[in-house]
Amino acid sequence: MPFRILISLLALILMGNALAAPLNVVATNSSLGALVRALAGERLEPTVLVGPEHDLHQIQAKPSMMRALRDANLVVAIGAELEVGWLPAAIAGAANPAIQPGRDGYFEAAAQVELLDVGKAADRALGDVHPLGNPHVDLDPVRMVQIAAALAERLARLDPDGAAIYRQGAAVFAQAVEQRVADWRARLAGAPGVLLYHRDAVYLLDRFGVPLLGTIESTPGVPPTGQDLLELTTKLKGRAGVVIYAPYQSPQVPTKLARDLGWPVKRLPLAPPLEADGTGYLDHIEHWVEAIAAARP
Amino acid sequence: MRPSILTAGLATALIAPAAAVQASSEAEIAQLRSMLEQMRSQYERRIQDLEDRLARAERQSRPPSASAASAATDPAISQPMRAPSVSTSSIPASTTSHPSDFRGALSSGTAFNPQISVILNGNYYNDGRRGSGAALVGQALQPSGGLAHDQDHVHEADHGHSHGGLNNGFNFSEAELSFSATVDPYFDAAAYLAVMDEGDVHLEEAWLQTRALPHGLRVKAGKFLSDFGYANKQHPHAWDFVDQNLPYLNLLGDHGLQDTGVQLTWLPRLPVYTLLGVEALQGDQERFGATLSNEDQERLGLDATKNGPRLWTLFAKVAPDLGQDQALQVGVSYAHNTQHQEVQTHTHADEDEIHENALAGEADLWGLDLVYKYDGSGPHGQGDFKFQTEYLRSVKDLDIVSSPHPEIIGSRRTFTTDGFYAQALYGIAPRWTAGVRYDVLGLTNEVGGGEHADYGSSDRWSLNLTWKLSEFSQLRAQYARNDILVAANERERFDAFYLQFLMSLGSHGAHAF
Repeated sequence: MPFRILISLLALILMGNALAAPLNVVATNSSLGALVRALAGERLEPTVLVGPEHDLHQIQAKPSMMRALRDANLVVAIGAELEVGWLPAAIAGAANPAIQPGRDGYFEAAAQVELLDVGKAADRALGDVHPLGNPHVDLDPVRMVQIAAALAERLARLDPDGAAIYRQGAAVFAQAVEQRVADWRARLAGAPGVLLYHRDAVYLLDRFGVPLLGTIESTPGVPPTGQDLLELTTKLKGRAGVVIYAPYQSPQVPTKLARDLGWPVKRLPLAPPLEADGTGYLDHIEHWVEAIAAARP
Repeated sequence: MRPSILTAGLATALIAPAAAVQASSEAEIAQLRSMLEQMRSQYERRIQDLEDRLARAERQSRPPSASAASAATDPAISQPMRAPSVSTSSIPASTTSHPSDFRGALSSGTAFNPQISVILNGNYYNDGRRGSGAALVGQALQPSGGLAHDQDHVHEADHGHSHGGLNNGFNFSEAELSFSATVDPYFDAAAYLAVMDEGDVHLEEAWLQTRALPHGLRVKAGKFLSDFGYANKQHPHAWDFVDQNLPYLNLLGDHGLQDTGVQLTWLPRLPVYTLLGVEALQGDQERFGATLSNEDQERLGLDATKNGPRLWTLFAKVAPDLGQDQALQVGVSYAHNTQHQEVQTHTHADEDEIHENALAGEADLWGLDLVYKYDGSGPHGQGDFKFQTEYLRSVKDLDIVSSPHPEIIGSRRTFTTDGFYAQALYGIAPRWTAGVRYDVLGLTNEVGGGEHADYGSSDRWSLNLTWKLSEFSQLRAQYARNDILVAANERERFDAFYLQFLMSLGSHGAHAF
């Protein structure tokens, strides 16, 4: 009996190998998963570790992540310490030398582009700060084009047979972004601005010149006090804008602030749905543009 | 180019004073002028050259769609760790003029220092027994361990400090210093030191672990907390309750299976996460496989302590993938210590003399563990749920080696004690977690072999509330209702109350599952 189990296990293993795609790619969030699909099309199906309902900063390492990373040829992360609370533990637990930082199998999106909010004080009295720069680069479609180009080259190096596909995918994605950026820019010109919960959408606002009117939490990672909210309301009273918060942020405060200010309020994830591809990613940006453009004086 | 400029500069510096003195020498001045002119034109050419290259690089790095947009980016923002820019064209950038993409992890842990953190763990404690309750919960009656017939005899481990040693009032449990780093492409290493309130330093862990072995294999060596069970590997700051659960505390002691040796783990390529591991450890344990001092061994006719490794463990952990929101891990563990010695004392009603029976043999330990986590994805842990339970069973198979009663020498004694704990935590509000734990020791609590005896069990209910102000600080209040069996027919029932702070200074690495 144990022998039979062993045989069936062995069969499973062999089958797994036979059916394997040319590369096993793991993406930490669904924006990066979408980017991999945009580059690889049918050639690869990435495993996405964290869906848009979860805060990439608060996740804990899970055995299922280690299982996914065990056989990965490439892990695609946001980086700049956004996943520092769990990804290093998950990679270590996966016992896979190919995806250690510094190897071809480790890719950080934030390392491929210029970051905002760089060089702030490394002082935890200021909350959960990122002296390396704001890590939420995946909400800027133009930076995603740069990331896509770098990622295509990485995929090409790991899977030379697919190089043409990946480069073609990057070109198509760049083109798609270019087409829609013009429209987005036109719609967002003169947008009155956004009140965010956390500085997690600054790349998108910065890209389209939309003012960030403030953040509900005055200190990153620390809930706002009544005094903070009073100050925000006083400061923003009479202006136009929109309040946008993420699914894992507390809805009560944004809703109340929006009511007090007479603004629209919108709950928007930072990343597209789990199964999104390149188009899905751009549709996700479209939701943000729509929400921001909806706020008119 | 550079040497020639240097020479010219040097020459200028050397000749300049001389030229000032011999101002009459028109020819020399003219020569100097021409040299300076030459240097200036060289520099200008080089600067122009650099400017051209910079402009070229900028043109290439800017994506076509971003040309207008990049104007919006604040150019004044500095970038200490700027990554190489990347061309968006589908043609790969020529390898010589562009560096390849960045493969590392951006990190502020700079300059090759290890990641350092200090965790401060202190509390206010009060029980209804003037502070003796904290020691009692670690001395619940079990027939093995020298406690059987003598409640006054306290099995004092010769391991410097105790995590459970609390007084009524304020206690500083420990400052835990941890250092970790990647040593080189082949090894990671870490060291954990506990500094107790009197200044004693205890080496909790110091190990190396491989990072480059193939086929899902990893080797760990040094002093470390065994992967036996689930709670064993956790440092006190990672516990969800202020104190250790009863089975671990009583069957393994304050430090659990913390020993020096080697561990091999294998994560086979299976559809479900399965981790298999084996450890060979020295076996220098507080309770599970303890050996006596040389003098005691000689006095009582026991064998000397055997060569290590004496403690072997096997473990398997299986975790099916339950999707994004849930995680489950089930583990089974076994440990065997090839040498265990203990002295059991007793007195007879009509004598003052204390009789000592010396026992020696082997010890086995079984463990089952289950952990379930649900990520409620609410703000700051609201709605998160965690359930954790473990069962431990210790069996010590010993022979009486020496005794004042010659008739029992050579007879066998089997000491079996088991226990389990189950605990659940729920994020009742953003940053607030409520927990409940039930732990019990001695569901089976018996002596077998030449003599039979059966004892009762000790148990405890704990309730707590944790306030996580940030990722780096937490405050906790805990109440425990203890019912501890201290002698065959004697129980101590008491309440204990804890207020704990945990402060995490510096870089605090990720916790394992």
